[in-house]
Amino acid sequence: MDNYGALQEFLGRFLPLSGEDFAILKKKSAVVHIRKKDIITDAGDIELYLYFVVKGLIREYFYKGSQQVTTDLISEGTITGSVTSFFTGAPSHYCLQAMEPCSLVAIHKGALEELYRSNRSWEKFGRIITTHFLLQQEKQILSSTRLSPRERFLHFVAEYNHLVQRVPQKYLASFLQIKPETFSRMKHLLRKNHKKQTAA
Amino acid sequence: MKYSASHISVEMGQSALRYFQGFMPEFSFTDLQALLQYCQVRKFPRKAKLVEEGEVDDYLNIVLSGLVRKYVRSNNKDQTLQLATEGHVVHSELSFLTRQPSLAILETLEPTQLLSLRFDKMEEALEHFPQGERMGRLMLTAMYIKKDERRYARASKTVRELFLDYVAHHPHMLQRVPQKYLASYLNIKPETFSRLKHLGRKSQKINGSSKRS
Repeated sequence: MDNYGALQEFLGRFLPLSGEDFAILKKKSAVVHIRKKDIITDAGDIELYLYFVVKGLIREYFYKGSQQVTTDLISEGTITGSVTSFFTGAPSHYCLQAMEPCSLVAIHKGALEELYRSNRSWEKFGRIITTHFLLQQEKQILSSTRLSPRERFLHFVAEYNHLVQRVPQKYLASFLQIKPETFSRMKHLLRKNHKKQTAA
Repeated sequence: MKYSASHISVEMGQSALRYFQGFMPEFSFTDLQALLQYCQVRKFPRKAKLVEEGEVDDYLNIVLSGLVRKYVRSNNKDQTLQLATEGHVVHSELSFLTRQPSLAILETLEPTQLLSLRFDKMEEALEHFPQGERMGRLMLTAMYIKKDERRYARASKTVRELFLDYVAHHPHMLQRVPQKYLASYLNIKPETFSRLKHLGRKSQKINGSSKRS
């Protein structure tokens, strides 16, 4: 699958986009490659792009004093950006950093707004993408308020097992709002359980 | 039954209009009248549950008058997520948009009137109301921004800063909302909340007297 195949599949989950419309979207966007550790959007930048992650892993964080607080981990097959800054045009609170070499499809705010203005089906596209962002946000809010650290950990492992290996432990602990010591203990317990199960 | 602007008071119409113009400046009174065809006004007494945990939320609501608390149960404790007053949107987003059982609970803290859009009516409005899609997008955008700003504030500020900011921007809420809900909303222990409230009052007095001298 080329860079755009994954994007077409992602969008297809929300709404059918005609080949013609997809060709327009393709013309209006660009594929960018980011090196590991590079900053995609820095705190204080005004976010001008939304990114679809074709390959790689991105961490979203902000600085609380000198400490980094991880607020999101975004891997293949989804869309990201410093969304509030993108919407408001105000400087971003958050930094986006590539944790692995990344291939992204980037679409500029101006191009997207042109699409929205061009016809109603693009407006619908915009509403659906915005709904996606809102749902992701609400899921995170509910998980951080409803679940205990232990439940958050288990939830994350069940849903994003592939990320447990890929993301350094300190960032995962910060994202899940779990103390690093507690996180190690949980991970250890999980491994023990797993062994027991395989043995049985 | 179809609703029109004449079903709601002038004051409430103004409040709805202000809300829409907040993210869509070109939204006119005529647009409001057209949109009201899809909406209904719902009235609730105090302490009424609009949505219970496990129910599918069918309505997107704008508060015309009154106060709605959105919260989740977590280990036998309630965690307040939103205190919605006049001109605010309140619903269980995840349940409303995905048609899944709600994790959040909505309850009135005062007698409340809501301008409500049922899910199927929203779909109709999106299809037939000329600016429906654009309006939907801008409304969702405004909701996203508000929640993200709150998340960022909660994660980046001290408890004291959060309290002072909230009181400065919502002075009337201290009178309207029981302290335990405000404390839960700000994620502050009730004891700490009382202490901060007390300190706030003292420093106000000091400021007040220095101004007079």
